[in-house]
Amino acid sequence: MRRSVLLLWLLAPALLGTGCAAVKPWEREILARDDMAWDPDVLEAQRQAHVYFSKEASLAGGGAGGGGCGCN
Amino acid sequence: MRGERQSQRTRRARLRRRVQSRRKRARRRRARKALQALTTSALALPGLAGGAAAQSREERFTSEYAYSFYSEDALPRSKVTAGGETDRYQIQTHQLRFAAPIADRLDLGLDVAYETMSGATPWYVVPDADGDALQVMTGASIEEARTDALLRGSYHFDSGQASLAGGASFENDYLAFNGLLEGERHFNEKNTTLSGGIGFSIDRLEPTDADLDPLRPTKQHRQNISAFVGISQVMGRGAAIQSSLTYQHARGFLSDPYKRVLVEGTPIADSRPDARNQLAWLTRYRQHVSPLAGTLHADYRFYVDDWQITSHTLELAWYQSLWWSLRLIPSVRYYSQSQAAFYGPWFDLPRADGLYSSDYRLSPYGALSWRLRAETAFSTWRIDWRASLSWERYLSSADLALGKVAIENPGLVSFNLFSIGLTARF
Amino acid sequence: MRRFWLVVLATTLLAPAAAALEEGKPAPLFSVPLLDGNGTLSLADYRGKVVYLDFWASWCAPCLVSLPLLEELRREFPGDRFQILAVNVDRDSEKARRFLGERPVGYPSGADPEGRVPERFEIETMPTSFLLDGRGVIRHVHRGFRRGDVPDLREQIRRLLAQDAR
Repeated sequence: MRRSVLLLWLLAPALLGTGCAAVKPWEREILARDDMAWDPDVLEAQRQAHVYFSKEASLAGGGAGGGGCGCN
Repeated sequence: MRGERQSQRTRRARLRRRVQSRRKRARRRRARKALQALTTSALALPGLAGGAAAQSREERFTSEYAYSFYSEDALPRSKVTAGGETDRYQIQTHQLRFAAPIADRLDLGLDVAYETMSGATPWYVVPDADGDALQVMTGASIEEARTDALLRGSYHFDSGQASLAGGASFENDYLAFNGLLEGERHFNEKNTTLSGGIGFSIDRLEPTDADLDPLRPTKQHRQNISAFVGISQVMGRGAAIQSSLTYQHARGFLSDPYKRVLVEGTPIADSRPDARNQLAWLTRYRQHVSPLAGTLHADYRFYVDDWQITSHTLELAWYQSLWWSLRLIPSVRYYSQSQAAFYGPWFDLPRADGLYSSDYRLSPYGALSWRLRAETAFSTWRIDWRASLSWERYLSSADLALGKVAIENPGLVSFNLFSIGLTARF
Repeated sequence: MRRFWLVVLATTLLAPAAAALEEGKPAPLFSVPLLDGNGTLSLADYRGKVVYLDFWASWCAPCLVSLPLLEELRREFPGDRFQILAVNVDRDSEKARRFLGERPVGYPSGADPEGRVPERFEIETMPTSFLLDGRGVIRHVHRGFRRGDVPDLREQIRRLLAQDAR
């Protein structure tokens, strides 16, 4: 029992590390691309949301940020 | 003598009556237009419609313009009552956006939209001799213009940002205000971001006249509050995922005052509840594929409300970079919604709660749309330009719905949307 | 049981902890090829001068804003006592060369597409720059870049030059 718990302690950092490895600040070249943005064209996103909202029953949703260049 | 005065009086009285009825018709028309605006354009402003998410810091002055032309397909004659109008709505929209860094950590943005709308709209649905649904259309073509403005300020911290936005929407006899406060915080070397915000909207009809017969005279305002929380996670050097939950509570006059419903053979006013709770869960994924020089966008939204409507939306787009800074973006969108509890094309029996609507927007249906967009970028002097052209074709029908639909609402809309845009950054 | 907890403690404490690179610590020495390909950029060569070390990339908007402003700042100080050095972290150095081709600066830029140098300097955001004194010790870590940063940087450089002159 003790040996298996010990094994788990030693392996845990390795196991967690293989999850989403953090992308370093200097590695965000692709994330900084405008086609990687949640809404590359703001006016288009606003227009689409407006059209669908007017013609369908649903709430648009969205509004969260994140991703991108991460600069400053 | 007397006879002359009498005939003069009757002539004046007749003239007065004619002027009065003309004024009454004009008032009714204005009120109808205004109330129509109340229902169709309210909450259309970007902040609450969820269009533009929190933007990254603007380093340069940006100005953007877009023009779009929206044109609904005419209804097939077989779906409209005899002699009814088959042409539908057309909308021309001008959008303008300015954004600039003001101080070191502050940037300001202004969005203005001007829209002109014209055309006939669905009024109510009747069964024909065989029990098939026929659309009764509004007769006169309505012409309206609407202006929206939204001012936004964002303050950038080292690990996040906070934004405050306020906007207004104007039309002849109609006024709406909205506000939004939102923020985001980065964690985990900016790989994880938590966002949240609250917003409100107050829509008011500036009363021109109390005489709004035959429309519902009582409630001409509504308010709503909304809140959202979201989390985004960088999945790798070329992938990111975001998921957010948005809740909205609306209260007030939520019916469409210029729509009717056939109940036991009589067209009565569209009658919806005084309140509505809505929840939308949106998940978005972005994946760059380097060997193909392209990026995949995949968005899925699940929606549910207490009017018993649930909907699913799936949107896929492929951003293909080509030579000469050209980019081609084909995309497809699938949408399916179930009906509202109080919806029906018509009602042979009354409902206990007295709620009725035959609006196609509350009916069960599915929609498929595909879009093609082309973009190019170029620089002159110190200005970076971006130009775009796009076309969308949207089709809706009961056959596209995920569930089974007994009677398709004849007013389901299909449209074309063309737009051109120009952006300058300097 | 005690031995178990001892092992737990050992593994958690001995887990590699980030040796925070902060002011007062000596800047890690490095050597990278120059962007234009003619030679190498070695930090050791600049011992004795006050150095402003800037990490930038062509995809980083504030970085691009900072480049011409840093060039102006550089010209305000004697070249024999103050030096600006840049390390570009573009994976495709050609993009950086193209940018500098259009907006050249008077200070050298090294190419580190593998990102080894920013890793050693434990960069937390782009851009990040380090102000080093004549002995190669980090005196100021500047995270991010905003236009209003220039007067503060100017003051810091002036102070360092005055100190080193003694």
